[in-house]
Amino acid sequence: MTSVHVDHGLTSGAPPRLAPAVRTPDGEKFLNGMAGTRIRQNGCAAAAYAALYANVDVITAYPIRPYTAIMMNLAQFIADGILDAEYIHADGEHSQFSAAFGAGSCGARAYTGSSGVGVTYGYEMYSIISGARIPIQMAIADRTLDPPGDFGSEHTDALCTRDMGWLLGWAATPQEVFDKSLIAYAIGEDPRVLLPQMVVQDGYFVSHIAGEVEMPAIGQVESFLPPYQLPFPLDPRRPVSHGPQIHPEQGPPLQLERARAMEDALGVIREKTDEFAQVFGRKYPHFVESYKLDDAEIAIVISGGHSVTCRAAVDRLRAAGVRIGMARLLWIRPFPTSDLQEALRGVKAVGVVETNLGLGGASYGGILSLDVTTALYQMDGERPLATSFMAGLGGETVPMSEFEWMAGKLGQAVARGRVEKAAHWVGFED
Amino acid sequence: MAFEVHRQHLPLFEDDGRAAATDDEHGRDRHYLPELPAEDPYAAGHRTCAGCGPAIQYRWVLKAAGGDTVVAGPTGCMYVANSTYLCTPYTVPWAHTPIASGGSFTSGMAAGYEAMIRKGRYPGPFPNIVVMAGDGSASDIGLGSISGALYRNHDALFVCYDNECYANTGIQVSPTTPYAGMTTFTPFGKAIPEGKKLPPKNLAKMMAEGHPHCYVATTTVGYPVDLMNKTRKGLNHVGAAFLHCYTPCQKGWVYQTSMTVELGRRVVESGLWAVWEYDPEERKYHYFHPPVQRPVTDYLAMQGRFGHMLPEHVANMQVAANQNWQDIGMDVPQNLRDLEDPERHRRLKEEEYSMPLNRGVGA
Repeated sequence: MTSVHVDHGLTSGAPPRLAPAVRTPDGEKFLNGMAGTRIRQNGCAAAAYAALYANVDVITAYPIRPYTAIMMNLAQFIADGILDAEYIHADGEHSQFSAAFGAGSCGARAYTGSSGVGVTYGYEMYSIISGARIPIQMAIADRTLDPPGDFGSEHTDALCTRDMGWLLGWAATPQEVFDKSLIAYAIGEDPRVLLPQMVVQDGYFVSHIAGEVEMPAIGQVESFLPPYQLPFPLDPRRPVSHGPQIHPEQGPPLQLERARAMEDALGVIREKTDEFAQVFGRKYPHFVESYKLDDAEIAIVISGGHSVTCRAAVDRLRAAGVRIGMARLLWIRPFPTSDLQEALRGVKAVGVVETNLGLGGASYGGILSLDVTTALYQMDGERPLATSFMAGLGGETVPMSEFEWMAGKLGQAVARGRVEKAAHWVGFED
Repeated sequence: MAFEVHRQHLPLFEDDGRAAATDDEHGRDRHYLPELPAEDPYAAGHRTCAGCGPAIQYRWVLKAAGGDTVVAGPTGCMYVANSTYLCTPYTVPWAHTPIASGGSFTSGMAAGYEAMIRKGRYPGPFPNIVVMAGDGSASDIGLGSISGALYRNHDALFVCYDNECYANTGIQVSPTTPYAGMTTFTPFGKAIPEGKKLPPKNLAKMMAEGHPHCYVATTTVGYPVDLMNKTRKGLNHVGAAFLHCYTPCQKGWVYQTSMTVELGRRVVESGLWAVWEYDPEERKYHYFHPPVQRPVTDYLAMQGRFGHMLPEHVANMQVAANQNWQDIGMDVPQNLRDLEDPERHRRLKEEEYSMPLNRGVGA
């Protein structure tokens, strides 16, 4: 928890302002040459380019597949003189996130990232960084947790950090990775929010498959993302104490403050997403991509890269006369309860695709459906039936045929007026 | 265009034999320096125990560092006892870090200032960056993080305040707890009469040997000028510096509260703590040779944590001390050699000495 300690006579006045960061001459030249071009790059490269455009001050790295390529790209930018940033080769993810935290606490814009067990190795740091209200950014290219060793994508790593006070956004294409990285910094660094951000992309499906990404002009980025100004940096010109011990009675108001920051982020996400559209010309839904939901009877709720296949499956099923739609979550924290309710209003049955493990949870399936069903339960009027589908675990693809199977289960639920069970293991059931 | 990073240079305090103790006749007790800076970035009003060694060290280190300083403090007793929400004793910026993050968080601070100054965001000069981590943090859970920071050579001073136990959590054994030191995780009993069976980890040597480009030094709260000058040398060194400071814990060791500084000298004079400096330019250790060499009992008998020691345990300790004397290039006098014999010892609590003794047993 951060408190601002003002020592009488020594530290009065406004927090010291930090000047905008200069870029290297080669960096400016490189980015000016990029402006307006569309280049093919994978999600890792897109994340690295976003960090380059954001002119991050400190990067902290530790290798683990598949996110490593983000840090490889950034290391090359520095080696080529395109980016001036301190690049810390940490001794593990706990140190890696701590170092980014230390840099961010001084007022430097810090960038870090991880995958899979790397995400969980540094787990202690998540609550501490959000509680300190230091808005660093972490890129996650998700990966299955051990055991067994598996490079494949699975959402469990990022999802098991969901309640630690980080903004958690999920990108489905390299372009969206690029855009979301900039949007997330703008939201997290906004003084109304001051929360760290995770920008998640599916390992391999997004991180290692190229798509077209439009490169903006430096001016666009700088007008959208002003220099990071922490209101209470560790700055000798105005001493503050970060994170002192509290008494139990001071706990509830501090926790409430952090909870409210997460709630307040809802409005700021809307605002920044709209601002981004004005500056860059790409308009994203605030929280939920509604695909063919208007007259849908059944709907898939999904996040991340498998939505690309899902969208195609929806088209095919629609062509066969099935009234199906898709709701893709662009943010998982803060959870877009009201936007999802609106998106799913009128739908009769909803199936959440769970590319994650929530072992022993209420649905005996995955993690995401717990939030989705709570949002649905709170809906005014008629609620859809809800179930979930365990699919794509271990980095397996979720092919069209599986989405079609899910649509069948949802159709049966509508016909029967109830779902068969709370979680289906796709591929293991008839 | 990159901006130049200007670094501070702190002058050393006049030494004239007071930096490390001489002997009783030649000013062993002279350590007061009237020309010390008036500023106290570690202000009064914290909640440390009477006679707290780490608090003395914190005060001297921050006095030496001065006002243009940023401090990090990993979890430990000096976190909990110093900082209370809305009331902390620091007049310089200070941040708590997780117990394993002393090295890494501080790396981030140093890297942040390097980048911000170079990129024109912060006007400079580069602040003194100091972390003070307990021995649990520095030699156990955060060892890798500090080693990483030293290896990467961030321009910062990494201090271990060593009270030889996890004091904050109620006196549990740490890697620097001495042999036979009683803690709540190494109690003595019929089956384990010595309490702790293992000798301590040599943290500072590990840091110097493993990171030979770093300035590394050890000291104790018994030698304030030495402590302050090593702080300044560490800060002046461009790159990473590690300072390992012996800081008695009254609560954990059970001694008379006025004896903290005395213990800081006796531990050196009994051969149980070497005061040295490692010069990365010369790649050499410079050992302080105390003018007084005492039997270990002169040190042990002052502390309740050793009160359970049997003659053979005391003799084992003397053997270790004699090895230490040789390690720092000093001869072992015959009287200390003789004390390697258990027959020459009684149970520690039955020993008699001129200095304040602790007749109790236990931590």
